[in-house]
Amino acid sequence: MADLKDELDTSPEVGELDDLPAPLPGEPSEPVTGPAEDSEAGLLDRAHALLDAHPVADGYSGLPWALRQRPSFDLELGEGTVDTDVPRMREGHVGALFWALHLPEEPTGEQAVGATLDQLDLVKTVVRAHPEGLRLACAAGPITDVRHFGRIAVLPGPASAAALGDSLGVLRSLRELGLRALTLSGVSWASEAGLTRFGEEVLREMNRVGVLADLSGASAETVRHACAVSKAPVLCARSAAHALRAHPANLPDDLLAALGAAKGLCMVPLTAEQTGPSVRDVADHLDHVREVAGPECVGLSGAYDAGTAHPRGLTDASGYPRLVAELLRRGWPETDIALLTWENVQRVLREADFTAREAQRRREPSTVKITELDG
Amino acid sequence: MTSLEAARELLREFPVVDGHNDLPWALREQVRYDLDARDIATHQGAHLHTDIPRLREGGVGAQFWSVYVRSDYAGDTAVSATLEQIDCVRQLLARYPADLRPALTAADMEAARAEGRIASLMGAEGGHSIADSLATLRALYALGVRYMTLTHNDNIAWADSATDEPRAGGLTAFGREVVREMNREGMLVDLSHVAATTMRDALDTSVAPVVFSHSSSRAVCDHPRNIPDDVLERLPGNGGIAMVTFVPKFVLQAAVDWTAAADENMRAHGFHHLDTTAEAMKVHRAFEESNPRPVATVSTVADHLDHMREVAGIDHLGIGGDYDGTAFTPDGLNDVSGYPNLIAELLDRGWSRTDLAKLTWQNAVRVLGAAEDVARDLQATRGPSNATIEELDG
Repeated sequence: MADLKDELDTSPEVGELDDLPAPLPGEPSEPVTGPAEDSEAGLLDRAHALLDAHPVADGYSGLPWALRQRPSFDLELGEGTVDTDVPRMREGHVGALFWALHLPEEPTGEQAVGATLDQLDLVKTVVRAHPEGLRLACAAGPITDVRHFGRIAVLPGPASAAALGDSLGVLRSLRELGLRALTLSGVSWASEAGLTRFGEEVLREMNRVGVLADLSGASAETVRHACAVSKAPVLCARSAAHALRAHPANLPDDLLAALGAAKGLCMVPLTAEQTGPSVRDVADHLDHVREVAGPECVGLSGAYDAGTAHPRGLTDASGYPRLVAELLRRGWPETDIALLTWENVQRVLREADFTAREAQRRREPSTVKITELDG
Repeated sequence: MTSLEAARELLREFPVVDGHNDLPWALREQVRYDLDARDIATHQGAHLHTDIPRLREGGVGAQFWSVYVRSDYAGDTAVSATLEQIDCVRQLLARYPADLRPALTAADMEAARAEGRIASLMGAEGGHSIADSLATLRALYALGVRYMTLTHNDNIAWADSATDEPRAGGLTAFGREVVREMNREGMLVDLSHVAATTMRDALDTSVAPVVFSHSSSRAVCDHPRNIPDDVLERLPGNGGIAMVTFVPKFVLQAAVDWTAAADENMRAHGFHHLDTTAEAMKVHRAFEESNPRPVATVSTVADHLDHMREVAGIDHLGIGGDYDGTAFTPDGLNDVSGYPNLIAELLDRGWSRTDLAKLTWQNAVRVLGAAEDVARDLQATRGPSNATIEELDG
C-alpha cells in the first residue's frame, strides 16, 4: 500500500487547490445570508449542522483486525496508530459503523468459523472497554438509542461467507452472537457462477434471522441472483461506480440499477483505489450512484483501517464534513444528504428486521445440508 | 402414603436438576434436527429416553442439555458442530415455550420452578468444542453454555481424559488458564470424563465450585468414569457437587466386568468394540445369549449416593442421568420418568425431605449462583484472557 500512497502524492490529479471549493456556477447565494454562505467555511458549517442531525452510518471499518495487531490501544483518548478513534469519529459525526470481521487472508475450511468467533469476541471486548464512546447495537431502534446517549453504535459485520462452515446452524449461532452482515463470495455456494441452491437457502435463512447480505466483491451473477432472491434489502458495503473507475469491486451501471430496483444500498468507499484520490472524485461517484441507483440506495463506507489508501482530506474518520460540504456545493438537497449519511442504513436495518419477523412466522428454521442441495 | 407418592410430592416442590441429557445429539443422529420427526411434546418412547410428558412425569425442573460433539472432531469441525448443537437447543426452546424455559442463571432456574416450567441450560461436553481458543470459550458462554466438561473420552492437548492413556498428567498450563477463564466467565468446570489427575489439577486451580455432571463413585464401582474418594473429599472445600449417573456399565461392578468381557470378545473376533455393523452385532448377540447382561437397579444407584454422601456430604450431591447418551439404563430408571423411583428408594433408606431437596434441586442451583458471584468478582479485577496454547504449553 505504501507505493500506492507515494504515487497518489505525486499524482498530477492531486493539487493543493483540489479540495478548495470552485466558485458556484449559476445563481450566487442570496446576499442576506452573508458572504459566509457559499464560502468553504460556510459550507463546512452547514455540513456540520446537517451531520449533527443526520450523522454518518459507516458501512465498513477494518478496525477489529487492525486492533488485533496492537498490544494496547485507547480509542477513547485517541489512538494515532489507526485511522479510527472516538475523538475523530466525533469530529467526523460518525454515529454508527459496521466493524468488519474479515481477515486479511481469508481462512478457509478448517479455521474460518473459529477465526470469526475470535473476531466477534474482540469486537465485544473492545466495545466493552470503551463504554464512554462505543456501544454494540444491531437494529435501527437501539442505534437511535445509542445516539441519544451520545455514544457511537457498533454493528458486528460483515463476516466472510466461509465463516458459516456451510452450516445454517452456525449462521443462526453467529446471528445470536450479534453478526449483522455476511459477504457472499469466496465459497462453493456463492461463486462466479452465482448462488447454488444451497446458496439460495443460505440467503433465505439470512432473511429469516436478519443477517444482511453484503455483495461487495461478489460476482455479477451473485449480485443479480441475490437481488432477485432476497426478501430483505441487500447492501454492497464497499462498492463505487465502475463507470467512473474500473475497480473489480465497483458496480457497473446495470448492477447499480438492479440494486436500486431492489431498494438495496450501495455504500461508496472512501478509498483512493476505488473512488480516486480526491474528495471530488468521491463526490463524483456519489453523484453517479445517486443518479443510477437512486438517492434512497446510496450510502457511505469509510473503509478505514482496512489497509487501503484514502483520498486527500478523507484520510481518517474525521473527514466526513468535508465530503458533505462538497455535496452541498454541488447542490445536493439536504434531504438526500440525510438519506446518504444516516437514513438509508436505518431503513435497510428496519426493513431487514421486518422481513425477519414476517419470515419467522411463516418458515421454520432450515437445517438442510449443503450436500442435500448441491450434491 | 407410599414412598413413591411421597417422592412425587417432594419433587413437585423440589424438582430434579439433571446434569446431563444427550437429547440434542440423539436428534442430530436420528433425524438431522428435524424436530417435526421427533415431536417431544408427544411420547417418543420408541426412539428416545426423553420427551416433555416423561420429563413432567419424572419431576424434572431443570435440565442441562448436553451440546456434545464427537471427541474425534477437532478444530472448526468441532466448533461448527457445537454451534449446531446449541442451535438445536435454541430451536427446542422456541418450539416448546410453555414447557421449556431458557435459563442462564440460578435466578432463572428459580423463576422456571415458580412458573412450573423446565429450566433449560446447556453444557458442552469436552474441551475439543473450543478448539484451543479462549475467545471461542467466551462465545459458547455468550450463547448460553453454562458448563464445559474438560474432556470427553479422548485426551485433548491440554487435559487428560479418564479413558485415554495419560499424557499431560492432568492439566497443562493452558488447561489451567482455560479453568481460570471459565471462572471469570461464570461457566462451571465439569470434571466428569476427565482423569483423576485432571480432577485434582482443576480443583487446585478453580476458585469457583466445580461439578461432575454425570459421574458416580469409584469406591462403589471401580470404573475410571467414576470419582475417587480423595476427590469427593475435596468437594466440601470447593463447594461443588457430584451428580450421580445411572449408566449401568459405570455403576454396577458386574456390568463393568461384563462390558470388559464383551469388548474382549469383539476384539477376539476382529471387530472394534464399538462396531455396530451387522456382522459385529451378530457376534455381540451370540455373546449376550451365553452371557446374560447384568442389570443395574434403582438400588445400585442409591448405593452410590449413600457412599458419596458419606464422603462428600449431603450438600455436595446431585443427579445426572445421561439419558439418550447411553444404550442401557437401570431397571426402574429406564427413562426420564424414573426419578421418583430413586427418590422413593432414598426415602426408604431414611433420607430426610431436607436432604432430598438438596440432592434434587438446591445444591445445583447454589453452585450455579456461586459461579456467577465468583465471575462478578473476577471480572472486576481482570479482563478476558487471550492466552494461546502455543504461548503457554510451548
